[in-house]
Amino acid sequence: MNDTLLWYTTRGAGAVSLVLLTAVVVLGILSALRVKGAGWPRFLTTGLHRNLALMTLVFLGLHIVTAVVDPFTHLGWLTAVVPFSSYYRTFWLGLGTISFELLLAIVMTSLARGFIGHAAWRMVHWLTYASWPVAVIHGIGTGTDTLSAWLLVLTVACVAAVVAAIGFRVTAGSRDPLEEPRTTFQAAVQRREPR
Amino acid sequence: MDRNTQDRVRAREAALRLLNRLTTGVGVGALAGVGVLGAVSAYTIPGAATSSQTASTATSSSASSTSSTSGLGSSSTPINSSSSGSGVVVSGGT
Repeated sequence: MNDTLLWYTTRGAGAVSLVLLTAVVVLGILSALRVKGAGWPRFLTTGLHRNLALMTLVFLGLHIVTAVVDPFTHLGWLTAVVPFSSYYRTFWLGLGTISFELLLAIVMTSLARGFIGHAAWRMVHWLTYASWPVAVIHGIGTGTDTLSAWLLVLTVACVAAVVAAIGFRVTAGSRDPLEEPRTTFQAAVQRREPR
Repeated sequence: MDRNTQDRVRAREAALRLLNRLTTGVGVGALAGVGVLGAVSAYTIPGAATSSQTASTATSSSASSTSSTSGLGSSSTPINSSSSGSGVVVSGGT
């Protein structure tokens, strides 16, 4: 395959992976907030979140494979697995490897959620808040197109989307549907305690 | 099955169809995105020719050479290079 084509594909797939990962994070936050509407049940948000997460892995795979097989950089497969093992832009590529591995762990534990239990799954899932910014920093630091207007716009839009979603989550408070019954039950238990 | 349950089943099926359509749409869009963004990146930064030369070009006394860009690097191929080495002696035979 043409070396230049590999290089362009790496850059294109990297940008698309960032957009997809951002969509996954935003959908995950909306899913946690139990957002729903007319014709948009809650499971649609969760299903789309899951499907896009798997799709992100596919496009990240394309991004990594095309970068590794590109004969110009000679990255080698070890770079894709071991962080900071690359001779080429060691730190920035290392961040990319870390982000990919965190995402892989998140997806794998989600697929095995029934086996590992909710608490462990939830704990690993919090790593998303580390994986996404590390991916963004990797894109800014490594990216050939970092200073290109189109990638700047894309990166700013992605950051804005996630910041808005986090802000919404923080200000929206708990959407636990069992919160009220639980409070009522606890109050009832406390009333009975003196007896 | 009562009417309420039927409505819920229908709503669920519609939502599942929407999920499939959205997933397919995003997948196709992402594939197209790789092509489009790859093309945009190629247009904005097509690859810079570096000044790295091969050993053979460095020693050649040629003034004319062609340079072709491939990826981040470049290759330089001399056209009219001349060698300043010693003459070749052919020996052997009778």
